[in-house]
Amino acid sequence: MNIDLLFKIAAIGILVAVLHQVLVRAGREDQAMMTTLAGIVIVLTMVIKEISTLFNTVRTIFNL
Amino acid sequence: MDIIKIIGIGLVSLILIIIIKQYKPEFAIYVSLISGILILSLIIDKLTSVIALLESISNKVSINNNFLGILLKITGIAFLSEFAVSICNDSGESAIASKIEIGSKIIIITLSIPIISNLLEIIINILP
Repeated sequence: MNIDLLFKIAAIGILVAVLHQVLVRAGREDQAMMTTLAGIVIVLTMVIKEISTLFNTVRTIFNL
Repeated sequence: MDIIKIIGIGLVSLILIIIIKQYKPEFAIYVSLISGILILSLIIDKLTSVIALLESISNKVSINNNFLGILLKITGIAFLSEFAVSICNDSGESAIASKIEIGSKIIIITLSIPIISNLLEIIINILP
């Protein structure tokens, strides 16, 4: 739970944006859409892991 | 000292969100989510000491403990629902935010029914 996760997600976002532009310029819009979706799914799995840890800690602390 | 960490995380994620929002707005929500989680995890460590203090006081004063348990549950629910509501409002989905808010309010009311009934009994006993 440290800050490099923030930078990792920002880096993936920028990378996907660049890839999207490159693929669109190369005339492959569908592959550009695929890379964007892949990037979103990767970041979603990372974020969901962090959210589940947060919910578990809150549940144990407030014994919900 | 921790306040500097919290402000630092907030400002850094703000800058990252501004950069990413122009190219890929979907990732801006993820960055705000992750910065929210980081800040909340910093805060939670402090909350445990406060809760331990509350429990020790309630044991000494011998208030019946299930009220404190209910109060802790209510603060936990408020804590989490405020996190979700602010994320939804940020991304412009105020309808979802109000649904979450209504849900959390109803859950809190149902949780606090024993306290209310206890209070009413006390009042009834006092009245002549």
